Amino acid sequence: MRDLYKRLGVPADASPETLDTAIEACRHTALRQDADAVLRIPARREAYDQLHATLGDLGRLRARLGLTHAPHWQDDVANDFSQDSDRSLSRHQELADKLDALVAGGDTSAASRRPWRWAAALLGAALLGLLAGAWL
Amino acid sequence: MPPSSFTPFELLLLKSRNQTDTAALLMLAWILANKARALPEDRDYLDTLAGDFHHGHALAPLIETAATQDMAAIQLAAEVLQKDWQGEPAHPFLRQAIALATSGGPPSHRNHHVLRFLADLLGVAPGALSALFKSVTGQPLPRPEDPSRAGYWAEREHRHQRRAHADDTAQARAEEDARHRRASETRRREEAEARARRQAEEEARRRDEQTRRHRERERADRARRQRERAQQRRHEEEAARRRREQERERQRGQEHDGTRPPPSFDTAHALRVLGLDDRASRGEIKRAYRRLAQLHHPDRFHAQGESRMALASRQFQRIQKAYEHLMQDARFV
Repeated sequence: MRDLYKRLGVPADASPETLDTAIEACRHTALRQDADAVLRIPARREAYDQLHATLGDLGRLRARLGLTHAPHWQDDVANDFSQDSDRSLSRHQELADKLDALVAGGDTSAASRRPWRWAAALLGAALLGLLAGAWL
Repeated sequence: MPPSSFTPFELLLLKSRNQTDTAALLMLAWILANKARALPEDRDYLDTLAGDFHHGHALAPLIETAATQDMAAIQLAAEVLQKDWQGEPAHPFLRQAIALATSGGPPSHRNHHVLRFLADLLGVAPGALSALFKSVTGQPLPRPEDPSRAGYWAEREHRHQRRAHADDTAQARAEEDARHRRASETRRREEAEARARRQAEEEARRRDEQTRRHRERERADRARRQRERAQQRRHEEEAARRRREQERERQRGQEHDGTRPPPSFDTAHALRVLGLDDRASRGEIKRAYRRLAQLHHPDRFHAQGESRMALASRQFQRIQKAYEHLMQDARFV
């Protein structure tokens, strides 16, 4: 499975006219024939696009999970759908960070109000103590 | 803390009693979403699997998440699985994934790649994956087809046509069968009537046959006796002729031995060249000459070089000369 759009140099959501001109301009005979047979017939293009989208997703997933050089990721698929390995964005880490933030007491706007709240609470406690002392 | 900053799947995962099971269920739901045609029993299968899992929440949100192809959720699930199941412990999960992907025929294009992604994710080598696939479906893991090639579509259309054609022929065959059955029914009835008639005829014919055969046998016997007699006569004549010939031979031999002078030196030499003794007949000389001439003909040695050919041609001339001499000899006329 090759990425015909990438090989033709057009975006995956290209209009039929753009696609036509790209196919006409293609110098590679075999590629032109395949693109002509696959992308110009709406039903075939739909099926192709579905798989194309899934493979794009898988390529991104593999890049994030460090699986761009794996035994099941070979040949045309690996050539056309691999993306640069990018392990910076870990959803698990993201979730852990969110949880930490939650445990620490909410989002950043709440954290900025926190000292004031603490002060108010202390003041309240002191007032309560004074009142109690006065009462007694 | 507003709950909207967590995605629905993250919330599910946080609420889950077993995060790995929740992640595995999301992956299975993803496979279900990627099927070419989802069967109702697939959903039931997923439900029963969910019953065995220890996640403790409803399945429907997972299926919804997977149906929207939410890659952030799937990445999170993949990370959880990658952390918790590597190699052997992942096999039961892969089995379930394969069973789900292949419940309605071979896996869809997308599931081909999803299954392979899961195998890579869980550190299952291609050999182990094909073994698992074989053990679940009983068939070897096929290579994913390539819809980016014109050949794939041509082949697919061809297959469709053939299947349509097969359906047509199947229907035609059914009609044909029905017609056959009706026809055979009437035929059977007719046959039953005909059989009785035929039996009577048969009986009469058999009687005729017997008498005819009897007559034929007598005629054959007579002919054989005649033939035997004729043969015997021929044998006797043959024997008599042979006896006469032997007699004549003997007489000629005595004549030959007694009255003939010994051959001249040239004749004896010629006979020796042809490999014969001096009692040879004219026919024997001819036969010997032909045999030797063929054997020593120079053309046969053409391929073996000049000198070999020269040798053969000298030998051939010797044989020819001997034969010519013997043919002119008065002894062998």
